[in-house]
Amino acid sequence: MELQDRLAAYARRRLDAAAAVTVGGLQRIHGGASRETFRFVLRYRQAGREVERRLILRRDPAGSLIETDRAVEFAAYAAFHGTAVPVPEPLWLEEDAHHLDHPFFIMEELVGGEASPLKLFEPPFGDHLERIGHRKWTILGEIARRDTSGIDAMAPITADGAWRRELARWEGVIDEDQLEPQPIIRAVIRWLRRNPPPPAQRISVVHGDYRTGNFLVTTEGNILGILDWEMAHLGDPLEDLAWSINRVWNWARDDRAGGLLPRSDAIRIWEDSSGLRAAPEALHWWELFSCVKGQGIWVSAARAYHDGRNLDPIMAIPSWMQGNSQDRAALELLGHLR
Amino acid sequence: MKPAPTQVLEVLALSLMADVAAHIDDDYQRSALQISAALLLGAREEFDRAAARRVDENRALRELFTAARPVVEDEPLRTRLVEAAATVDTTLLVPDLEHANAELRALLIDLHIHVETLSGDAAHALDTAIWRELRVSTDRRRLSLAVF
Repeated sequence: MELQDRLAAYARRRLDAAAAVTVGGLQRIHGGASRETFRFVLRYRQAGREVERRLILRRDPAGSLIETDRAVEFAAYAAFHGTAVPVPEPLWLEEDAHHLDHPFFIMEELVGGEASPLKLFEPPFGDHLERIGHRKWTILGEIARRDTSGIDAMAPITADGAWRRELARWEGVIDEDQLEPQPIIRAVIRWLRRNPPPPAQRISVVHGDYRTGNFLVTTEGNILGILDWEMAHLGDPLEDLAWSINRVWNWARDDRAGGLLPRSDAIRIWEDSSGLRAAPEALHWWELFSCVKGQGIWVSAARAYHDGRNLDPIMAIPSWMQGNSQDRAALELLGHLR
Repeated sequence: MKPAPTQVLEVLALSLMADVAAHIDDDYQRSALQISAALLLGAREEFDRAAARRVDENRALRELFTAARPVVEDEPLRTRLVEAAATVDTTLLVPDLEHANAELRALLIDLHIHVETLSGDAAHALDTAIWRELRVSTDRRRLSLAVF
């Protein structure tokens, strides 16, 4: 049976009070590299009413850019849906692989937004970069504000344990997946251990990949939704701030963080919104850590492609285009670039 | 080899981006094609320099290991540095150069770890030389399409 038919069969089980359940327009899209992403239209009749919903299927692949837990990603959407942090409504989480060959979840599709960072610098989005940037870091502050209680899918962590766990995790990824020695990132890891950061001011939900390219923007410069929560976890909110201003996301090829705003403006907006302070020494630690994490992601993608587990070109390009940039970002942060 | 592989790769990439992609309705396939075209441009840039940059780097690392020898206090490490500094690239085949490069860069990590435990002007100078080489290594690898 084709995927579209199997998806319709699954929806029928879930919508037991509905009739005439059909799935149409199934189309794969690039949407985060750790799961296969499809958009589709679900139609059904319920309580005498015809319903049509545009939805997104996120299905685990055989090999991915990063190994992540779909339940955590689903929980992140559930935690923020209906709050000041715009996210699509999560509908169904399915851990049983027999329905669609792999575990998956389904959520609402947010229609009418653009995510591609390169398109943001063209009309009509290019006229609204400051506005987009202001919303971007305001929303990130809102994420940091959210009470973490009730998010059981995310492993708890202490204020002093957050940096240790994340550093160990990404060092482990590099140990496991590197295809060649990484002298710059290894030196960074040693520096990070010699110079630990202060404990987190607060343990928050960390999006994990909060950057230009992972949110949808309208033509008026509003942010329609924050996507790609596949690396979400509890931790130090400075982790997200540091990742969001990492050099490798400066898509405009200048000093504007995320291609949107001066770095100092981004930090100030985040501080105002979160109610937290980005102490320079602490932020510096997390910015360097971002380079370790970034390199971990790039070497993982290269490994999956190298091993033939996933030959999607999106797995090959990060190592080529981002890996060296990530090293240069680390050198700049340590004062060794010039 | 004429036309030059660099020209062929560039023409192919631009054709895929400008002509072919415009006729593909499927978002995923079009995106995959555009990424593939970008990879061709990366391969085009690497093609001419592939052997040269590896030869340059392997030579620079061997010279660094020679300069490090009097500073290094760990005898087994010093022996490894001497042996590595005495190696030569006997072919210009990229896989061979790459294999040698990986061995030399792994040794560079061990040297760097050791230098970080030392104090004094000579150790500081060696540490500076290592960082300089690491910076130059990113210049050698840089691709025009990369953001930074």
